[in-house]
Amino acid sequence: MSDIGGEILPQKTPFYDQHVALGGKVVDFHGWLLPLQFRGILEEHRHTRESVSVFDCSHMAEFRLVGRDAIQEYDRLFTANLTNLPVGRGRYGAILNDQGRILDDVISIRLAEEELFVVSNAGPASRISALLTSLKHPAEDVSGLTAKIDVQGPRSREVLEKAGLTVVSELGYFSARRTSWRGLPLVVTRMGYTGELGFELYIPWESASDVWTWLLQLDGVMPAGLGSRDTLRLEMGYPLSGQDFDDTKTPLEASQSRFVDWEKDFVGKEVLVEMRRAGGYAQLVGFSAPDRRAPRTGYTLSVSGEPVGMVTSGTFGPSVGYGIGLGYVGSDFVTPGTRLMAGPKQLPVEVVSVPFYKQGTCRR
Amino acid sequence: MFPDDLYYTEDHEWIRDEGSEYVVGITSYAVEQLGDITYVELPELGADVIRGETVATVESVKAASDVYSPVGGHICEVNDFLESRPELVNEDPYGEGWFFKLDSVRVSELNKLMKADAYEAYIKSLEK
Repeated sequence: MSDIGGEILPQKTPFYDQHVALGGKVVDFHGWLLPLQFRGILEEHRHTRESVSVFDCSHMAEFRLVGRDAIQEYDRLFTANLTNLPVGRGRYGAILNDQGRILDDVISIRLAEEELFVVSNAGPASRISALLTSLKHPAEDVSGLTAKIDVQGPRSREVLEKAGLTVVSELGYFSARRTSWRGLPLVVTRMGYTGELGFELYIPWESASDVWTWLLQLDGVMPAGLGSRDTLRLEMGYPLSGQDFDDTKTPLEASQSRFVDWEKDFVGKEVLVEMRRAGGYAQLVGFSAPDRRAPRTGYTLSVSGEPVGMVTSGTFGPSVGYGIGLGYVGSDFVTPGTRLMAGPKQLPVEVVSVPFYKQGTCRR
Repeated sequence: MFPDDLYYTEDHEWIRDEGSEYVVGITSYAVEQLGDITYVELPELGADVIRGETVATVESVKAASDVYSPVGGHICEVNDFLESRPELVNEDPYGEGWFFKLDSVRVSELNKLMKADAYEAYIKSLEK
Protein backbone atom coordinates (compact mmCIF):
# COMPACT_ATOMS: atom_id res chain seq x y z
CA MET A 1 0.00 0.00 0.00
CA SER A 2 1.25 3.47 -0.79
CA ASP A 3 1.49 6.10 1.89
CA ILE A 4 1.10 9.01 -0.53
CA GLY A 5 -1.76 11.21 0.55
CA GLY A 6 -1.24 10.78 4.25
CA GLU A 7 -2.04 7.90 6.54
CA ILE A 8 -5.53 6.70 7.27
CA LEU A 9 -6.27 6.84 10.98
CA PRO A 10 -7.50 3.57 12.46
CA GLN A 11 -11.08 3.54 13.69
CA LYS A 12 -12.32 2.92 17.21
CA THR A 13 -15.11 0.55 18.18
CA PRO A 14 -17.66 1.63 20.84
CA PHE A 15 -15.63 -0.35 23.39
CA TYR A 16 -12.24 1.22 22.74
CA ASP A 17 -12.10 3.25 25.98
CA GLN A 18 -13.19 0.20 27.96
CA HIS A 19 -10.45 -1.91 26.36
CA VAL A 20 -7.85 0.66 27.33
CA ALA A 21 -9.25 0.95 30.88
CA LEU A 22 -9.11 -2.84 31.26
CA GLY A 23 -5.44 -2.85 30.29
CA GLY A 24 -5.99 -4.27 26.82
CA LYS A 25 -2.96 -4.26 24.51
CA VAL A 26 -4.48 -2.45 21.54
CA VAL A 27 -3.31 -3.07 17.97
CA ASP A 28 -4.35 -1.93 14.50
CA PHE A 29 -6.26 -4.77 12.85
CA HIS A 30 -7.36 -3.97 9.28
CA GLY A 31 -7.78 -0.30 10.22
CA TRP A 32 -9.48 -0.93 13.57
CA LEU A 33 -8.02 -0.41 17.05
CA LEU A 34 -8.75 -3.70 18.80
CA PRO A 35 -7.35 -5.50 21.85
CA LEU A 36 -4.79 -8.18 21.06
CA GLN A 37 -4.97 -9.42 24.65
CA PHE A 38 -5.93 -8.40 28.17
CA ARG A 39 -4.39 -10.83 30.69
CA GLY A 40 -2.56 -12.99 28.18
CA ILE A 41 -3.44 -15.07 25.15
CA LEU A 42 -3.07 -18.44 26.88
CA GLU A 43 -5.27 -17.47 29.81
CA GLU A 44 -7.95 -15.97 27.56
CA HIS A 45 -7.84 -19.06 25.35
CA ARG A 46 -8.26 -21.40 28.32
CA HIS A 47 -11.03 -19.30 29.82
CA THR A 48 -12.99 -19.42 26.54
CA ARG A 49 -12.66 -23.22 26.32
CA GLU A 50 -13.69 -23.70 29.95
CA SER A 51 -16.03 -20.83 30.82
CA VAL A 52 -17.15 -17.76 28.83
CA SER A 53 -15.40 -14.80 27.20
CA VAL A 54 -16.53 -11.70 25.32
CA PHE A 55 -14.83 -10.55 22.13
CA ASP A 56 -15.26 -7.14 20.48
CA CYS A 57 -15.98 -7.94 16.83
CA SER A 58 -17.39 -4.53 15.90
CA HIS A 59 -14.85 -4.28 13.09
CA MET A 60 -16.85 -6.79 11.08
CA ALA A 61 -19.21 -5.53 8.36
CA GLU A 62 -22.96 -6.08 8.22
CA PHE A 63 -25.45 -5.63 5.38
CA ARG A 64 -29.22 -5.76 5.14
CA LEU A 65 -31.10 -6.93 2.07
CA VAL A 66 -34.84 -6.50 1.94
CA GLY A 67 -37.30 -7.87 -0.60
CA ARG A 68 -37.58 -10.94 -2.78
CA ASP A 69 -35.75 -9.32 -5.70
CA ALA A 70 -32.84 -8.15 -3.55
CA ILE A 71 -32.42 -11.62 -2.07
CA GLN A 72 -32.60 -13.21 -5.50
CA GLU A 73 -29.96 -10.86 -6.89
CA TYR A 74 -27.68 -11.47 -3.88
CA ASP A 75 -28.17 -15.22 -4.23
CA ARG A 76 -26.24 -14.98 -7.54
CA LEU A 77 -23.18 -13.78 -5.58
CA PHE A 78 -23.25 -16.34 -2.76
CA THR A 79 -21.77 -19.83 -3.15
CA ALA A 80 -24.19 -21.60 -0.78
CA ASN A 81 -27.91 -22.13 -1.24
CA LEU A 82 -30.27 -19.41 -0.02
CA THR A 83 -33.58 -20.39 -1.59
CA ASN A 84 -34.09 -23.27 0.83
CA LEU A 85 -32.75 -21.35 3.85
CA PRO A 86 -35.51 -21.14 6.48
CA VAL A 87 -36.28 -18.01 8.45
CA GLY A 88 -34.08 -17.85 11.54
CA ARG A 89 -31.22 -19.78 9.99
CA GLY A 90 -27.81 -18.72 8.69
CA ARG A 91 -25.47 -20.24 6.14
CA TYR A 92 -21.72 -19.92 5.64
CA GLY A 93 -20.36 -19.38 2.14
CA ALA A 94 -18.30 -17.04 0.02
CA ILE A 95 -18.63 -14.18 -2.44
CA LEU A 96 -16.36 -14.71 -5.45
CA ASN A 97 -15.13 -12.53 -8.29
CA ASP A 98 -15.83 -13.60 -11.87
CA GLN A 99 -12.57 -15.58 -11.79
CA GLY A 100 -13.92 -17.73 -8.97
CA ARG A 101 -11.52 -16.17 -6.44
CA ILE A 102 -12.71 -15.38 -2.90
CA LEU A 103 -13.55 -11.72 -2.24
CA ASP A 104 -14.60 -12.74 1.26
CA ASP A 105 -16.23 -15.49 3.25
CA VAL A 106 -19.58 -14.38 4.66
CA ILE A 107 -22.48 -15.60 6.73
CA SER A 108 -25.93 -14.98 5.24
CA ILE A 109 -28.82 -15.08 7.68
CA ARG A 110 -32.53 -15.06 6.85
CA LEU A 111 -34.03 -12.89 9.58
CA ALA A 112 -37.47 -12.77 7.96
CA GLU A 113 -39.09 -14.24 4.86
CA GLU A 114 -37.86 -11.29 2.79
CA GLU A 115 -34.93 -10.02 4.83
CA LEU A 116 -31.30 -11.14 4.78
CA PHE A 117 -28.55 -10.10 7.18
CA VAL A 118 -25.06 -10.58 5.74
CA VAL A 119 -21.89 -10.51 7.86
CA SER A 120 -18.44 -10.10 6.28
CA ASN A 121 -14.89 -9.37 7.45
CA ALA A 122 -13.10 -6.08 8.11
CA GLY A 123 -10.27 -6.52 5.58
CA PRO A 124 -12.33 -6.72 2.39
CA ALA A 125 -15.25 -4.70 3.86
CA SER A 126 -14.97 -1.71 1.51
CA ARG A 127 -14.94 -3.96 -1.57
CA ILE A 128 -17.86 -6.05 -0.35
CA SER A 129 -19.75 -2.89 0.56
CA ALA A 130 -19.14 -1.35 -2.87
CA LEU A 131 -20.35 -4.56 -4.50
CA LEU A 132 -23.48 -5.08 -2.41
CA THR A 133 -24.61 -1.45 -2.28
CA SER A 134 -24.33 -1.06 -6.05
CA LEU A 135 -26.62 -3.97 -6.91
CA LYS A 136 -29.78 -3.25 -8.89
CA HIS A 137 -31.59 -3.94 -5.62
CA PRO A 138 -28.91 -2.55 -3.34
CA ALA A 139 -28.08 -3.79 0.14
CA GLU A 140 -27.96 -1.35 3.02
CA ASP A 141 -24.51 -1.21 4.64
CA VAL A 142 -25.36 -1.16 8.35
CA SER A 143 -21.77 -1.66 9.57
CA GLY A 144 -21.57 1.87 10.99
CA LEU A 145 -24.78 1.34 12.96
CA THR A 146 -23.96 -2.11 14.23
CA ALA A 147 -21.58 -3.18 16.98
CA LYS A 148 -20.87 -6.88 17.45
CA ILE A 149 -19.96 -8.74 20.61
CA ASP A 150 -19.19 -12.46 20.52
CA VAL A 151 -20.01 -14.27 23.75
CA GLN A 152 -18.17 -17.57 23.51
CA GLY A 153 -17.62 -20.53 25.76
CA PRO A 154 -19.46 -23.54 27.21
CA ARG A 155 -21.06 -21.34 29.89
CA SER A 156 -22.31 -18.68 27.42
CA ARG A 157 -25.90 -19.96 27.20
CA GLU A 158 -26.33 -20.35 30.94
CA VAL A 159 -24.88 -16.92 31.69
CA LEU A 160 -26.89 -15.04 29.03
CA GLU A 161 -30.11 -16.82 29.92
CA LYS A 162 -29.65 -15.97 33.58
CA ALA A 163 -29.08 -12.33 32.60
CA GLY A 164 -32.45 -12.25 30.84
CA LEU A 165 -31.44 -12.86 27.24
CA THR A 166 -33.72 -15.90 27.17
CA VAL A 167 -33.76 -16.27 23.38
CA VAL A 168 -30.41 -18.09 23.56
CA SER A 169 -32.09 -21.23 24.89
CA GLU A 170 -34.13 -21.47 21.67
CA LEU A 171 -31.24 -21.04 19.26
CA GLY A 172 -29.81 -24.10 17.53
CA TYR A 173 -26.42 -24.12 15.83
CA PHE A 174 -26.40 -21.59 12.93
CA SER A 175 -29.69 -20.04 14.05
CA ALA A 176 -30.56 -16.39 14.58
CA ARG A 177 -33.33 -14.25 16.08
CA ARG A 178 -34.20 -10.60 16.30
CA THR A 179 -35.03 -9.80 19.92
CA SER A 180 -34.54 -7.21 22.62
CA TRP A 181 -32.55 -7.20 25.83
CA ARG A 182 -33.09 -4.68 28.63
CA GLY A 183 -34.94 -2.48 26.15
CA LEU A 184 -32.32 -2.64 23.41
CA PRO A 185 -33.13 -4.13 20.00
CA LEU A 186 -30.59 -6.68 18.84
CA VAL A 187 -29.95 -9.61 16.59
CA VAL A 188 -28.64 -12.71 18.35
CA THR A 189 -27.01 -15.48 16.34
CA ARG A 190 -25.31 -18.75 17.23
CA MET A 191 -22.54 -19.19 14.69
CA GLY A 192 -19.24 -19.08 16.60
CA TYR A 193 -15.62 -19.01 15.53
CA THR A 194 -13.96 -20.60 18.56
CA GLY A 195 -15.32 -24.14 18.46
CA GLU A 196 -17.22 -23.55 21.68
CA LEU A 197 -20.89 -22.91 22.27
CA GLY A 198 -21.33 -19.22 21.62
CA PHE A 199 -23.58 -16.36 20.63
CA GLU A 200 -23.02 -13.17 18.66
CA LEU A 201 -24.87 -10.02 19.66
CA TYR A 202 -25.46 -7.38 16.96
CA ILE A 203 -26.40 -4.21 18.77
CA PRO A 204 -27.04 -0.53 17.97
CA TRP A 205 -23.64 1.21 17.83
CA GLU A 206 -24.69 4.19 19.99
CA SER A 207 -25.83 2.11 22.97
CA ALA A 208 -23.30 -0.67 22.56
CA SER A 209 -20.91 0.30 25.36
CA ASP A 210 -23.65 -0.38 27.94
CA VAL A 211 -23.97 -3.94 26.68
CA TRP A 212 -20.22 -4.56 27.03
CA THR A 213 -20.48 -3.32 30.63
CA TRP A 214 -23.51 -5.53 31.36
CA LEU A 215 -21.76 -8.58 29.97
CA LEU A 216 -18.59 -8.03 31.96
CA GLN A 217 -20.64 -7.83 35.15
CA LEU A 218 -22.01 -11.33 34.59
CA ASP A 219 -20.60 -14.20 36.61
CA GLY A 220 -17.40 -15.57 35.09
CA VAL A 221 -17.41 -13.43 31.93
CA MET A 222 -13.93 -12.17 30.99
CA PRO A 223 -12.83 -10.03 28.04
CA ALA A 224 -10.67 -11.69 25.40
CA GLY A 225 -8.69 -10.30 22.48
CA LEU A 226 -7.72 -11.06 18.91
CA GLY A 227 -4.78 -13.21 20.02
CA SER A 228 -6.89 -15.90 21.66
CA ARG A 229 -9.54 -15.55 18.96
CA ASP A 230 -6.82 -16.58 16.54
CA THR A 231 -5.53 -19.56 18.55
CA LEU A 232 -9.10 -20.74 19.20
CA ARG A 233 -10.13 -20.60 15.53
CA LEU A 234 -6.88 -22.19 14.40
CA GLU A 235 -7.37 -25.16 16.74
CA MET A 236 -10.69 -25.65 14.92
CA GLY A 237 -8.97 -25.44 11.54
CA TYR A 238 -11.13 -22.46 10.55
CA PRO A 239 -9.38 -20.38 7.87
CA LEU A 240 -9.15 -16.61 8.30
CA SER A 241 -10.05 -14.30 5.41
CA GLY A 242 -7.04 -12.27 4.28
CA GLN A 243 -4.68 -14.69 6.00
CA ASP A 244 -5.48 -18.20 4.77
CA PHE A 245 -7.22 -17.12 1.57
CA ASP A 246 -7.82 -13.97 -0.42
CA ASP A 247 -8.81 -12.99 -3.94
CA THR A 248 -6.08 -15.19 -5.40
CA LYS A 249 -7.69 -18.43 -4.16
CA THR A 250 -10.83 -20.31 -5.12
CA PRO A 251 -12.98 -22.14 -2.54
CA LEU A 252 -11.58 -25.40 -3.94
CA GLU A 253 -8.03 -24.34 -3.17
CA ALA A 254 -9.10 -22.99 0.24
CA SER A 255 -10.71 -26.39 1.02
CA GLN A 256 -14.11 -24.72 1.25
CA SER A 257 -15.87 -26.75 -1.42
CA ARG A 258 -18.38 -28.10 1.10
CA PHE A 259 -19.76 -24.56 1.27
CA VAL A 260 -20.35 -24.47 -2.49
CA ASP A 261 -23.73 -25.49 -3.86
CA TRP A 262 -22.93 -27.02 -7.25
CA GLU A 263 -26.62 -27.17 -8.18
CA LYS A 264 -27.10 -23.40 -8.20
CA ASP A 265 -25.70 -20.63 -10.37
CA PHE A 266 -23.32 -18.06 -8.89
CA VAL A 267 -20.64 -15.62 -10.05
CA GLY A 268 -17.35 -17.46 -10.60
CA LYS A 269 -18.91 -20.91 -10.86
CA GLU A 270 -17.58 -21.73 -14.37
CA VAL A 271 -13.98 -21.32 -13.16
CA LEU A 272 -14.65 -23.61 -10.19
CA VAL A 273 -16.31 -26.27 -12.33
CA GLU A 274 -13.33 -26.28 -14.68
CA MET A 275 -10.82 -26.34 -11.82
CA ARG A 276 -12.64 -29.25 -10.20
CA ARG A 277 -12.67 -31.14 -13.49
CA ALA A 278 -8.96 -30.52 -14.18
CA GLY A 279 -7.86 -31.25 -10.58
CA GLY A 280 -4.21 -31.02 -9.56
CA TYR A 281 -4.53 -27.70 -7.72
CA ALA A 282 -2.73 -26.84 -4.47
CA GLN A 283 -5.00 -26.97 -1.45
CA LEU A 284 -5.24 -25.66 2.10
CA VAL A 285 -4.49 -28.39 4.66
CA GLY A 286 -3.93 -28.59 8.39
CA PHE A 287 -0.73 -29.98 9.86
CA SER A 288 0.60 -30.62 13.33
CA ALA A 289 4.07 -30.60 14.90
CA PRO A 290 5.32 -33.37 17.21
CA ASP A 291 5.90 -30.96 20.10
CA ARG A 292 5.36 -27.39 21.30
CA ARG A 293 7.34 -25.84 18.45
CA ALA A 294 5.01 -24.10 15.99
CA PRO A 295 5.03 -23.67 12.24
CA ARG A 296 4.79 -19.93 11.43
CA THR A 297 3.14 -17.86 8.73
CA GLY A 298 5.39 -17.68 5.67
CA TYR A 299 7.40 -20.83 6.41
CA THR A 300 8.13 -22.91 3.32
CA LEU A 301 6.79 -26.47 3.41
CA SER A 302 9.07 -29.00 1.78
CA VAL A 303 9.47 -32.70 1.07
CA SER A 304 12.99 -34.13 0.61
CA GLY A 305 14.35 -30.60 0.36
CA GLU A 306 11.93 -29.62 -2.44
CA PRO A 307 9.43 -26.85 -1.69
CA VAL A 308 5.82 -28.05 -1.97
CA GLY A 309 3.92 -25.26 -0.24
CA MET A 310 3.68 -22.45 2.28
CA VAL A 311 2.31 -21.96 5.81
CA THR A 312 -0.45 -19.31 6.03
CA SER A 313 -1.26 -19.61 9.77
CA GLY A 314 0.63 -21.25 12.58
CA THR A 315 0.75 -21.24 16.35
CA PHE A 316 1.18 -23.30 19.46
CA GLY A 317 -2.24 -24.83 20.10
CA PRO A 318 -2.89 -24.21 23.81
CA SER A 319 -5.64 -26.84 24.18
CA VAL A 320 -3.96 -29.54 22.10
CA GLY A 321 -0.48 -28.87 23.49
CA TYR A 322 1.48 -28.91 20.23
CA GLY A 323 2.25 -26.73 17.22
CA ILE A 324 -0.46 -26.48 14.55
CA GLY A 325 -0.83 -24.75 11.22
CA LEU A 326 -2.71 -24.24 7.98
CA GLY A 327 -1.05 -23.90 4.61
CA TYR A 328 -1.18 -24.67 0.92
CA VAL A 329 0.48 -27.78 -0.47
CA GLY A 330 0.55 -29.36 -3.92
CA SER A 331 -2.14 -31.94 -4.68
CA ASP A 332 0.28 -34.84 -4.09
CA PHE A 333 0.74 -33.84 -0.46
CA VAL A 334 -2.79 -33.26 0.88
CA THR A 335 -3.41 -36.75 2.27
CA PRO A 336 -3.45 -37.01 6.08
CA GLY A 337 -0.26 -38.69 7.25
CA THR A 338 1.91 -36.91 4.67
CA ARG A 339 5.13 -35.74 6.31
CA LEU A 340 6.47 -32.27 5.51
CA MET A 341 9.26 -30.04 6.77
CA ALA A 342 8.40 -26.48 7.77
CA GLY A 343 10.61 -23.42 7.84
CA PRO A 344 14.31 -22.67 8.06
CA LYS A 345 14.81 -25.08 10.98
CA GLN A 346 13.06 -27.96 9.22
CA LEU A 347 10.34 -28.51 11.81
CA PRO A 348 8.76 -31.89 10.99
CA VAL A 349 4.97 -31.63 10.58
CA GLU A 350 2.32 -34.08 9.49
CA VAL A 351 -0.81 -33.37 7.45
CA VAL A 352 -3.87 -34.09 9.59
CA SER A 353 -7.61 -33.64 9.19
CA VAL A 354 -9.06 -30.67 11.05
CA PRO A 355 -10.29 -29.74 13.60
CA PHE A 356 -7.12 -30.18 15.64
CA TYR A 357 -9.20 -29.71 18.79
CA LYS A 358 -12.09 -32.18 18.87
CA GLN A 359 -13.73 -31.49 22.24
CA GLY A 360 -15.40 -28.20 21.25
CA THR A 361 -18.91 -27.52 22.59
CA CYS A 362 -20.21 -25.52 19.60
CA ARG A 363 -22.94 -28.00 18.69
CA ARG A 364 -23.96 -28.79 22.24
CA MET B 1 13.18 -0.82 35.86
CA PHE B 2 15.99 -3.22 34.85
CA PRO B 3 18.20 -4.92 37.49
CA ASP B 4 21.46 -3.05 38.14
CA ASP B 5 23.68 -6.11 38.49
CA LEU B 6 23.25 -7.32 34.90
CA TYR B 7 24.77 -6.57 31.51
CA TYR B 8 22.42 -6.24 28.53
CA THR B 9 22.57 -6.74 24.76
CA GLU B 10 20.71 -4.89 22.01
CA ASP B 11 18.96 -8.19 21.28
CA HIS B 12 17.52 -8.21 24.82
CA GLU B 13 19.60 -10.89 26.47
CA TRP B 14 20.99 -10.30 29.97
CA ILE B 15 24.07 -11.81 31.60
CA ARG B 16 24.95 -11.92 35.29
CA ASP B 17 28.43 -12.41 36.77
CA GLU B 18 28.20 -15.04 39.52
CA GLY B 19 31.93 -15.37 40.14
CA SER B 20 33.08 -18.49 38.35
CA GLU B 21 30.00 -18.66 36.10
CA TYR B 22 27.85 -16.28 34.10
CA VAL B 23 24.05 -16.75 33.89
CA VAL B 24 22.18 -15.74 30.71
CA GLY B 25 18.48 -15.05 30.07
CA ILE B 26 16.18 -12.69 28.21
CA THR B 27 14.95 -9.36 29.55
CA SER B 28 11.51 -8.42 30.83
CA TYR B 29 11.21 -6.16 27.77
CA ALA B 30 11.75 -9.17 25.47
CA VAL B 31 9.24 -11.18 27.48
CA GLU B 32 6.66 -8.42 27.22
CA GLN B 33 7.14 -8.22 23.46
CA LEU B 34 6.86 -11.99 23.05
CA GLY B 35 3.83 -12.54 25.27
CA ASP B 36 3.07 -16.02 26.59
CA ILE B 37 6.12 -18.21 26.00
CA THR B 38 5.27 -21.72 24.84
CA TYR B 39 8.60 -23.34 23.95
CA VAL B 40 12.30 -22.87 24.71
CA GLU B 41 15.01 -24.70 22.78
CA LEU B 42 18.17 -24.67 24.90
CA PRO B 43 21.80 -24.80 23.75
CA GLU B 44 23.81 -27.97 23.76
CA LEU B 45 25.56 -28.57 27.06
CA GLY B 46 29.34 -28.40 26.69
CA ALA B 47 29.30 -26.35 23.50
CA ASP B 48 31.82 -23.58 22.96
CA VAL B 49 30.05 -20.50 21.64
CA ILE B 50 31.14 -17.12 20.34
CA ARG B 51 29.58 -13.73 20.98
CA GLY B 52 26.43 -13.22 18.90
CA GLU B 53 26.07 -16.90 18.03
CA THR B 54 22.50 -18.26 17.91
CA VAL B 55 22.36 -20.58 20.89
CA ALA B 56 18.68 -20.91 21.78
CA THR B 57 15.20 -20.32 20.43
CA VAL B 58 12.23 -18.95 22.28
CA GLU B 59 8.70 -19.33 20.93
CA SER B 60 5.57 -17.57 22.08
CA VAL B 61 1.99 -17.86 20.89
CA LYS B 62 2.75 -14.99 18.53
CA ALA B 63 6.30 -15.55 17.26
CA ALA B 64 9.60 -17.44 17.33
CA SER B 65 12.86 -15.63 18.13
CA ASP B 66 16.51 -16.57 18.28
CA VAL B 67 18.55 -16.03 21.43
CA TYR B 68 22.20 -15.06 20.97
CA SER B 69 25.08 -15.56 23.34
CA PRO B 70 26.00 -12.15 24.82
CA VAL B 71 29.67 -13.16 25.05
CA GLY B 72 31.89 -16.04 24.01
CA GLY B 73 32.35 -18.95 26.41
CA HIS B 74 31.55 -22.54 27.26
CA ILE B 75 28.00 -23.72 28.02
CA CYS B 76 28.36 -25.36 31.43
CA GLU B 77 24.70 -25.63 32.46
CA VAL B 78 21.25 -25.27 30.86
CA ASN B 79 17.91 -24.68 32.57
CA ASP B 80 16.16 -27.95 31.78
CA PHE B 81 13.04 -26.85 33.66
CA LEU B 82 12.17 -24.56 30.74
CA GLU B 83 11.48 -27.55 28.51
CA SER B 84 8.45 -28.54 30.55
CA ARG B 85 7.71 -25.12 32.07
CA PRO B 86 8.48 -22.41 29.48
CA GLU B 87 6.13 -20.07 31.36
CA LEU B 88 8.89 -19.61 33.97
CA VAL B 89 10.43 -17.12 31.52
CA ASN B 90 7.25 -15.01 31.72
CA GLU B 91 6.94 -15.36 35.46
CA ASP B 92 10.53 -14.71 36.50
CA PRO B 93 12.79 -13.66 33.59
CA TYR B 94 15.77 -12.71 35.81
CA GLY B 95 15.40 -15.63 38.20
CA GLU B 96 13.89 -19.06 37.53
CA GLY B 97 13.49 -18.19 33.85
CA TRP B 98 17.26 -18.17 33.14
CA PHE B 99 18.37 -20.01 29.99
CA PHE B 100 21.98 -21.21 30.40
CA LYS B 101 25.27 -20.65 32.20
CA LEU B 102 28.68 -19.93 30.70
CA ASP B 103 32.18 -20.42 32.03
CA SER B 104 35.55 -19.72 30.37
CA VAL B 105 33.96 -16.43 29.41
CA ARG B 106 35.78 -13.81 27.36
CA VAL B 107 35.58 -11.16 30.04
CA SER B 108 36.77 -8.39 27.70
CA GLU B 109 33.54 -8.83 25.73
CA LEU B 110 31.43 -8.04 28.80
CA ASN B 111 32.58 -4.43 28.68
CA LYS B 112 30.99 -4.03 25.26
CA LEU B 113 27.56 -4.71 26.75
CA MET B 114 25.14 -2.17 28.25
CA LYS B 115 24.57 -1.52 31.93
CA ALA B 116 21.00 -1.11 33.20
CA ASP B 117 20.73 2.65 32.63
CA ALA B 118 22.10 2.40 29.08
CA TYR B 119 19.73 -0.46 28.31
CA GLU B 120 16.80 1.52 29.67
CA ALA B 121 17.74 4.47 27.44
CA TYR B 122 18.06 2.04 24.52
CA ILE B 123 14.54 0.67 25.17
CA LYS B 124 13.17 4.22 25.30
CA SER B 125 14.77 4.92 21.92
CA LEU B 126 13.09 1.81 20.48
CA GLU B 127 9.68 2.85 21.75
CA LYS B 128 9.82 6.29 20.17
